Amino acid sequence: MIPTNSLVFLIDDDPSVRKGVSRLLRAAAFKTEAFASASDFLARDQHTGPACVIVDVRMPGINGMHLQDLLLQQRREEQLVFITGHGNISMCAQAMKAGAVDFLQKPFRDTELLGCVERALVRSAQQRQRGLEKTEARRLLDLLTPREFEVMQLVVTGMLNKQIAARLGTAEKTIKVHRGRVMKKLALESVAELVRLVQTARIAAVT
Amino acid sequence: MKPNSVSFESAHVNSPASGCNDTSAIFDRHLLMIGLWVFAGYYLGCKIGFALTFQPHPVSVLWPPNSIVVAALLLMPVRLWWFVLLAAFPAHLAAQLQSDVPPLMIVCWFISNVSEALIGAGLTRYAIGGPLRFSSLRNVGIFCLCVVFIGPFTSSFLDAAFVAWNHWGRDGYWELIRVRLSSNAVSALIIVPLIVTWLTNGVQPLRAASRSRYLEACALFLCLLVVSYVVLYELRAESDLALLFLPLPLLLWAAVRFGALGASTAISIVGFLAIWSASHEHGPFSRETAEQSALSIEIFLIGLTIPLLFLAALIEERATGKNELRESESRFQIVADAAPVLIWMSGVDQRCTFFNKPWLDFTGRSMEQELGDGWLQGVHRDDVQNCLAIYRQAFVARQPFVRQYRLRRNDGEYRWISGQGVPRRDPQGRFAGYIGSCVDVTELVKKDQALRESEERMRVAAEAVNLGIWEWDIIKDEIWATNARRALLGWPASDKIAWNDFISRVHPDDRDRVRHTVDNAIHSGKDFDSEYRLILPDGILRWMSTRGSVQFDEARKPARLLGISMDITSRKQAELDAQRDRAELSHLSRVALMGEMSASIAHELNQPLAGILSNAAAGQRFIDRGDVNLSEIREILNDIIADGRRAGGVVRGIRGMVKKEQVERRSVNLNEVVADALRMASPDAVLRSCQLQTSLDANLPAIQGDPVQLQQVLLNLVINAFDAMRETPTSSRKVLITTELNGDGTIRTSVRDHGVGISENMQDRLFDPFFSTKTEGLGMGLAIVRSIVEAHGGTIEGANVNDGGARFEFVLPINGHSSA
Repeated sequence: MIPTNSLVFLIDDDPSVRKGVSRLLRAAAFKTEAFASASDFLARDQHTGPACVIVDVRMPGINGMHLQDLLLQQRREEQLVFITGHGNISMCAQAMKAGAVDFLQKPFRDTELLGCVERALVRSAQQRQRGLEKTEARRLLDLLTPREFEVMQLVVTGMLNKQIAARLGTAEKTIKVHRGRVMKKLALESVAELVRLVQTARIAAVT
Repeated sequence: MKPNSVSFESAHVNSPASGCNDTSAIFDRHLLMIGLWVFAGYYLGCKIGFALTFQPHPVSVLWPPNSIVVAALLLMPVRLWWFVLLAAFPAHLAAQLQSDVPPLMIVCWFISNVSEALIGAGLTRYAIGGPLRFSSLRNVGIFCLCVVFIGPFTSSFLDAAFVAWNHWGRDGYWELIRVRLSSNAVSALIIVPLIVTWLTNGVQPLRAASRSRYLEACALFLCLLVVSYVVLYELRAESDLALLFLPLPLLLWAAVRFGALGASTAISIVGFLAIWSASHEHGPFSRETAEQSALSIEIFLIGLTIPLLFLAALIEERATGKNELRESESRFQIVADAAPVLIWMSGVDQRCTFFNKPWLDFTGRSMEQELGDGWLQGVHRDDVQNCLAIYRQAFVARQPFVRQYRLRRNDGEYRWISGQGVPRRDPQGRFAGYIGSCVDVTELVKKDQALRESEERMRVAAEAVNLGIWEWDIIKDEIWATNARRALLGWPASDKIAWNDFISRVHPDDRDRVRHTVDNAIHSGKDFDSEYRLILPDGILRWMSTRGSVQFDEARKPARLLGISMDITSRKQAELDAQRDRAELSHLSRVALMGEMSASIAHELNQPLAGILSNAAAGQRFIDRGDVNLSEIREILNDIIADGRRAGGVVRGIRGMVKKEQVERRSVNLNEVVADALRMASPDAVLRSCQLQTSLDANLPAIQGDPVQLQQVLLNLVINAFDAMRETPTSSRKVLITTELNGDGTIRTSVRDHGVGISENMQDRLFDPFFSTKTEGLGMGLAIVRSIVEAHGGTIEGANVNDGGARFEFVLPINGHSSA
């Protein structure tokens, strides 16, 4: 099941491969964009939907491995599928460790490639979904004042108001007020919901 | 005695009487002279006989012709006797015909005379076994018996019969025999010794004689003439017969002092005078009748002559014996003194009686000092006992002996002497002591010692470095080897080792090679060396290196093989290890290069393949979806075709893979590249029994290039050469690598082998990629070689050589850039 709004990018300096593979992707009903070099690809705006990048290892300029590094640095969610005319195990291992979906040796079977692309898009869509939820959680959490954030952090650890007041050196009553505001701002009913939100936002818990 | 008779014999050969031995010139001048002498002698003898005849008796007291014939026969060789008789016959006729004797009687007399001469001379010759000489008792005895008695006695029967038959003479038959016998006996006794002694001795003794001897002879014969004349002529028959003994002392004098020659001469004088006197009716023998006179003269002469002849012979015998002894002694002395060895003699008492001059010179001592046991003073103290013991032991057993001892030389140095002694015997065969000779063998002994020492040193040295020395006697098929080597191979020290024993110890894989090498060496006469494996009795494998050379006998035939062997197991092991390391290294580097090449080939090929597969799969999918856009399909197929072509192009264009830009440009000397490649290839060469030879141009300029790649080129060509020579006999497995500077600014490098060569159908495709004649080959070697050479701006080609094998040569420009 190909996620909607997904896009497949193909980067290979060899025109035969570019032509053949992009035609294959099209025949498999993938939306495809092909580039002769990694820099061309990087020059394009980042696609917002699920994305898969099929990239040749050996290329003039920025090669496949290099591109992987760059994308990781930019925390981009495109999933990479490597293809190579002549690869070796160490290259393959490095790429897989860095999160590549697969490492294919040219010439490859169509099903092999297409399977990889599908997996990559699914993974990309999931990642995108998780990213969206996190962004929303963080946006909500950003609404809190620093004092409220502080209290919230202690609340998710399961502390009682009295304990939190003792810790922060204020009155229990004040803590109660802050707590009420947090729940109101975040439109939450229970502490359990608050805990899940904080987890989604991937904010380190206070110990 | 013997030597003397020999020398007489030889003198006789040269004497005129016997100079006619040559049958090819029977009628030469010499023979004619002899004939004339015989003729004249016979004729004269007849005349004398007639003159001495006591008239009217028909028989002469002295009848010389018969004796002359006998003398001639005795002096002449048997095969010329006929000639003597032939010469005598006319003389006989000439003399007898003057008398009034009937011719038949004349002939009969000749026959009887000749038969007398033949019987006497023939028997004498037979009994003596050679020419007659009056120098021994035996000869004189034989002469008296045969010539003086048997000859006249037997022939007289014939003669008397002839006379009676012819009715000549008045005497009776037996009377005739007696008269003739006595007269002929006297003639023989007087005349034959005279003629034979004078003719055989000749003038030689007269010439050699001293003056005093001449005087003595003259005095003797003068006295004899005078005394004989007085006694035999002037004396009357009635006078005192004791006076007849007067000539006897003179006759004895002649016999004692002048031997047979003197005796026969003296007797002839006395005889002639006695007969002559009696015939002239003078002297003591003149009796009433001629018969009586003749008989008494004859008895007198016979009685006088025979003892005298024996006496003369005895005297001569003693004289020659003494001479011989003296001569042989002086000869021995001369020989002994001239001999280059030391000679000694000892008597029956074991004491030394003689030392030759070299001995005395050697010891520097006098004969007196050395005689007896004096010589022992010069023998080294440590050797005296042993030296004497050997001598005494041998002496008692009368056995020859050999001994070695040190003898002091005149300069005080003790020298090693090797001597041997043998028992000697006197002429009677009695043991007379020992005679021995010695040689100074000091140098030999020293050499022997030195040799032994050097052999010992050699052995120690050989064993120290574990070097085996061996010798194979090819003819006897016997191998000698140093003990250490025998021990190593498990052969007992004394057993005989044959070639097959050795071969059986050689590793089976190496046997043929070793045999072949050794056979070659034997046939060619050249030295050889070989490395092979031995399997020791305990099953351990040892690598040996052997060098040997062939030794020839006098007939130029190979007789022996001499050589050394060395255990090279550890070296070989190290070598093999190093070789394996190197082989791995070289293999790795080759693999690396190949890997790089194939990576790049793979990359180049996989691109279009990926394109083809993807396009085809896309087409399938369009069709499967039912979304068939014909122009789209056509485009797909076009792309597939293009990609397929591209893949083909890649394969074809493989040699373009080593791109010019990839060549590392450095200054390279091709000779060094060759040397490096040879170093890498030499372990392979050893393994495959190939020889690597080079002929390098020392003045090569450097070229611009990649040394590793060029090395790869050479290594590839050399390994190919090895591969090509798998079927070539080991001895001709040679690879020759040459470099030379061409006039046009290029360097030609060639690799020439003696292998199977390049078959015609390979010729055009040699350098094509994936084309290989080897089962395990990738077919990339020469393609890469060509790529590298072309990347260096050069060209390469391979061709067969006329006398077998192939040559690959590549030409590289010195400046590194050329139109290629």
